[in-house]
Amino acid sequence: MAVNPKIRQFFFPSITPKFLIRAFSIALFAYLFFGYLCIPFTIRGGSMEPTYHHGGVNFCWRLRYLFSEPKRFDVVTVRFAGSRVMLLKRVVALEGEQVEFLDGKLFVNGKEIEEPYVRYPCHWNLPLRRVEKDCVYVVGDNRSMPIENHHFGQASKSRILGVPLW
Amino acid sequence: MVKMKYILIGVLMVILGIIAAVFFFPSEEKRVEKQFHLLSEWVSKSPEENAFALLQKMKNIGTLFDEHCELKAPSQSLSGSYTREEISTYAGSARSHFSQLNLKFYDLHIVFPEKEVAKVTLTGRLTGKSAAGEQVDETREVECVLKKIGKKWLFHRIEVIEVLKK
Repeated sequence: MAVNPKIRQFFFPSITPKFLIRAFSIALFAYLFFGYLCIPFTIRGGSMEPTYHHGGVNFCWRLRYLFSEPKRFDVVTVRFAGSRVMLLKRVVALEGEQVEFLDGKLFVNGKEIEEPYVRYPCHWNLPLRRVEKDCVYVVGDNRSMPIENHHFGQASKSRILGVPLW
Repeated sequence: MVKMKYILIGVLMVILGIIAAVFFFPSEEKRVEKQFHLLSEWVSKSPEENAFALLQKMKNIGTLFDEHCELKAPSQSLSGSYTREEISTYAGSARSHFSQLNLKFYDLHIVFPEKEVAKVTLTGRLTGKSAAGEQVDETREVECVLKKIGKKWLFHRIEVIEVLKK
């Protein structure tokens, strides 16, 4: 059976200089875009349940804070030594603010903060502390585990890589 | 046509020469990276590991460390200077709490602040299963100092960096 030449050309293109330039340009663009601007990641663990589920796939958009600062309730990615492994957390307090947990309720500057994204029962207690300069306080949405088993706290703004795309 | 053939053979030989040089004469950076690969291999544990392999790995782990190595991991209540025998014993004891263990290093940034001194910042991820059957997934940023003693790069200082400060 004869295959339509256009279809054959689409799947098996002739290796011409024009084709090579196009393929190289696409590869370079994809490398820069997905390597530095919009980094794909897989969610491991349930610290952001039920907002983000274990095994979910997302992209870290790195230009989000190019001209702005993280705000309360933003979900952000926090880097370790690089971008291969990141933490996905929610900003609950900003620099200079005082944060504490009383029987699972979040208080910022002594005022209780409504957190509709926290769906599981929480009974955390954390004494009052002030968020240091150039830092934000980040916590996961899933606080059903004991406080000592949850990775949270203040992170330097320089460690915030970006935000998940959705 | 004959000339073209010689050019191609020449290019191929240069490429092979470069590959051989990289393989047989690794850079200092590659030698430092290799120590991390070895540490990862020897700390990791499979469920089928026998007593002989366990002893061999424990012995091997010690060879990666300087005579005295400074460890600083406040979250693990580990702080101070330890001999390589102590580290070896500690590693063996820690491994015995797990039925399966996998240590991986990501985002290694290697700098040489002084001659024969390497400073490495990296993300370390430990996954596995405890002897009680619980899943373990711990990620930390780690800063290491390695010193070149003889022809080997040995761990001289390991510090766990606090990314999120409760």
